[in-house]
Amino acid sequence: MKVNRMKLLVGGVQLRDGVSTITDLFGRILSRAGLQVMGLERGFASTIYGAHQYDPLVITDGPALSWGDEAIDILVGLDYDVNPDVPEQPNRDTILRHGRNLVDGGVLLYDSSTGPVPVEKLEARGVRVFPIPARQIAQRDLKKEVVKNVVMTGALFRLLEFDSDERWLRRLLEERFGRKGPELVNLNLEAARRGRAAVESVLTERGWPGIGYRLTPVPQPAPAVYIAGNEALVIGAIEAGVRFYAGYPITPASSILEFMERHVPRYGGRALQGSNERESIRAALGASAAGAVSMIGTSGPGLSLKVEEFGVSGVTETPLVIVDAMRAGPSTGMPTKSEQGDLFLVTGGGHGEIPRIVLAPSTIEECYSLIHEAVRLAEIYQCPVFFLTDLNLSEGRITVPESLLRAGRPPVKRQVATEDQVREERYLRYRVTDTGISPRLIPGTRGGVSKMNSTEHDEFGFVTTDPAKRVAMMDKRMRKMATYLQRDARPPQVYGTVGKGLVLVGWGSTKPALLEAQQRLKAEGLSVTVVHFTHLWPFPTHLVKPLLVAGERVIVCEHNYMGQLAEIIQAHCLIPTRRVLKYNGRPFYPSEVVRAVHEVARNGATAVRLGGKEPVMVEVSSDA
Amino acid sequence: MPDAVKSIWEQNATPRHRIQWCPGCGDFAVLNALKAALTTLELTPSEVLLVGGIGCSGQIRNYLNGNSFYGTHGGALAYALGAKMANPELTVIALAGDGDTLAIGVENFVHISRRDPDITLLIMDNGVYGLTKGQDSPSAGLGKPVGVSVEEHPPMLDPVKLALTCGATFVAQSFSGDPKHTTEMLVEAVRHKGFALVNDFSPCVTYNKFNTYDWFRAHCEPVPASHDPAGEDAAWDLIRDFERRDKLPTGVIYRHPRTKAPAKRLPMSTTELEKVDLEPMLQGLR
Repeated sequence: MKVNRMKLLVGGVQLRDGVSTITDLFGRILSRAGLQVMGLERGFASTIYGAHQYDPLVITDGPALSWGDEAIDILVGLDYDVNPDVPEQPNRDTILRHGRNLVDGGVLLYDSSTGPVPVEKLEARGVRVFPIPARQIAQRDLKKEVVKNVVMTGALFRLLEFDSDERWLRRLLEERFGRKGPELVNLNLEAARRGRAAVESVLTERGWPGIGYRLTPVPQPAPAVYIAGNEALVIGAIEAGVRFYAGYPITPASSILEFMERHVPRYGGRALQGSNERESIRAALGASAAGAVSMIGTSGPGLSLKVEEFGVSGVTETPLVIVDAMRAGPSTGMPTKSEQGDLFLVTGGGHGEIPRIVLAPSTIEECYSLIHEAVRLAEIYQCPVFFLTDLNLSEGRITVPESLLRAGRPPVKRQVATEDQVREERYLRYRVTDTGISPRLIPGTRGGVSKMNSTEHDEFGFVTTDPAKRVAMMDKRMRKMATYLQRDARPPQVYGTVGKGLVLVGWGSTKPALLEAQQRLKAEGLSVTVVHFTHLWPFPTHLVKPLLVAGERVIVCEHNYMGQLAEIIQAHCLIPTRRVLKYNGRPFYPSEVVRAVHEVARNGATAVRLGGKEPVMVEVSSDA
Repeated sequence: MPDAVKSIWEQNATPRHRIQWCPGCGDFAVLNALKAALTTLELTPSEVLLVGGIGCSGQIRNYLNGNSFYGTHGGALAYALGAKMANPELTVIALAGDGDTLAIGVENFVHISRRDPDITLLIMDNGVYGLTKGQDSPSAGLGKPVGVSVEEHPPMLDPVKLALTCGATFVAQSFSGDPKHTTEMLVEAVRHKGFALVNDFSPCVTYNKFNTYDWFRAHCEPVPASHDPAGEDAAWDLIRDFERRDKLPTGVIYRHPRTKAPAKRLPMSTTELEKVDLEPMLQGLR
């Protein structure tokens, strides 16, 4: 019997079948019951309706290391009819796609409203199959097709011997629908009961006492939320002081805009949906110039359109936090698939040389905690601060204890000149200082004017091409980066002992998979240190190099083709790197990372590419 | 203009002998008109944010006192929008040319007309890209009959008609050969609660040999006193009537007193940022 430890996958036709209705109910109810739900891998289709969508959830009673491998314990197929995407597969699309990943002895639940699906092969592997006519029950018996997902949820709860007294489900339904009267709550509860009954009858018919999996609430669970990275990021940003946000609809950053629009006005701020990507960044720069703590969010294609303004922020020294929720590129790429392909864009994008800072959270918790740092650094260094997330972090969801969000962090301290300071001597917007940081005056403050200029300028802000003044100004701007490296750069997070064995390097959302791979390698007797970056640019060579040169081999794992961080490490630390690369839109699975590390350690691979037709492609180059 | 007041706008400004406009440029008169308008409005430099477009015209931001912001080509209105949203107490004026506004920045012109923020846009319209040596702008060809056009040189785009179409609530036109009138238009534009366009014909003496001062003098004609700018139909009738007669209307063509919800000043420098209660955001996540 596996208790509180399983991977569940729900699949169906996007929008039609309501895949996320079930995973949402599960995430919220189980989080309330003190369990940990991790839904970091979200299989959205890049259309609204009609293509296959799947949503895996890892459920545990302590924090899970990662989303695990592709293996699933419980598969739920919601397709009740032909998937318009694959018309030759009536109501079995999900099973055909994911059935092979079911573990021996796993469980399959599928909507049998339109007939049975042949499952002999699965049953031969000991999979227990539950055909549930959920749609038929909803449509014919309850006269409300929309509750078919609650029928399925009820069935799942019965399978997992969870919520037999309907306590958890009832409370959630009452909160959601209670205002509209008891009918809706009762209808949904009835739907769940029908689902339970359907499972019951299969169990009786087959003579199974149970299915070998169970969910049990934790006694006295601490309050928790089930939260997406984009939501965590907004909460952290508002707490830090962001009061102006601008975006433009783009996957997977749209939900930042939506969440901001819902909440930032409450805190005296404003959220703007730009008429285009450029209007949104320009308006945010204007707002920042006028004194508001400003942030924008977008994804790759939108960021490409905003590149022109990176320089404006850098040269006018107007603070701006720029969130890039990366998705697979180039160009439109794969809009609903994750990638880490924008590192070069944010570290080098734009003509000329621009002072800038790049941070990347590696978990949803860090989306909340690190955005505070991004806002603070923008305020101090008055330059663009990029915050690199990716689709898995943005749209992925996880159980987070509320205590983490209730630490009561103070907002960032504003770094602006007061009227008295301005009146002391003539105010110079671009005063040359030792740190490179010039006092910022908010327009409207009496006693001085702020001449913010994207043309090269003198200390006051007037246009100049005078060679000496140009050098002084360029040096001043770039000196801020030296100041940053000295005062605020942070070393990568280190898991394991520095100088012992292989060094596995990563950044962003890959951390959980790397940590799980590390555990598995350790069990095999292979010592691996994980070095995970959050502060990517300016590259903190002085903090990084000692960590990397101490190890045997440096293996950089990234979701891109080239190994962008690996290139940066090689250029700055002057050490060779081996690369493990995956760019098929799916996250790293720990087993793949383990295999790739073996290829490097035993077979001397210089690069390992994962996830193609050949699941592991190895490159060995003689000059490495 | 009394000297003492005049000097406020000349402090913190590029000295006149270093102004980089060609002798005779229409923008000199615009600069004087702008200073006179700000004086009439009894504003101080710290209360004003001048957002410059790219081109000869945008240089004006450094030729007088006041906070200023200078970003990218075509972006002036979008920066101005954000600045005004962040701090409604600032008087925000975008100062740009016809190329900046109607070509590379037309996306902003269209949508910011629609958004109707309480900002003023002054176009210094001369029909050419002066700073890059005289290429055609979208308002090139003003006053020339359109016979056969080619893709490379399409007929002109009229900012007044475009603004009206897009929902701007104040549309006026002036000629820098009559700076007193330009001043009046600017004063009215800044006083208007909403997006206000002043399209000022400001001749380029170096590259536009057709739309000269004399040409404008012969073609500009004041909007008749009988014109009611509150009516959109009346505005269109006026424009058509002037077009038929081969004239350019100067004056307030359209003014719609649209009610705007009062905007709140965002928490800013003077107010320390406050610690916030996150509970409302967590409510929907449980």
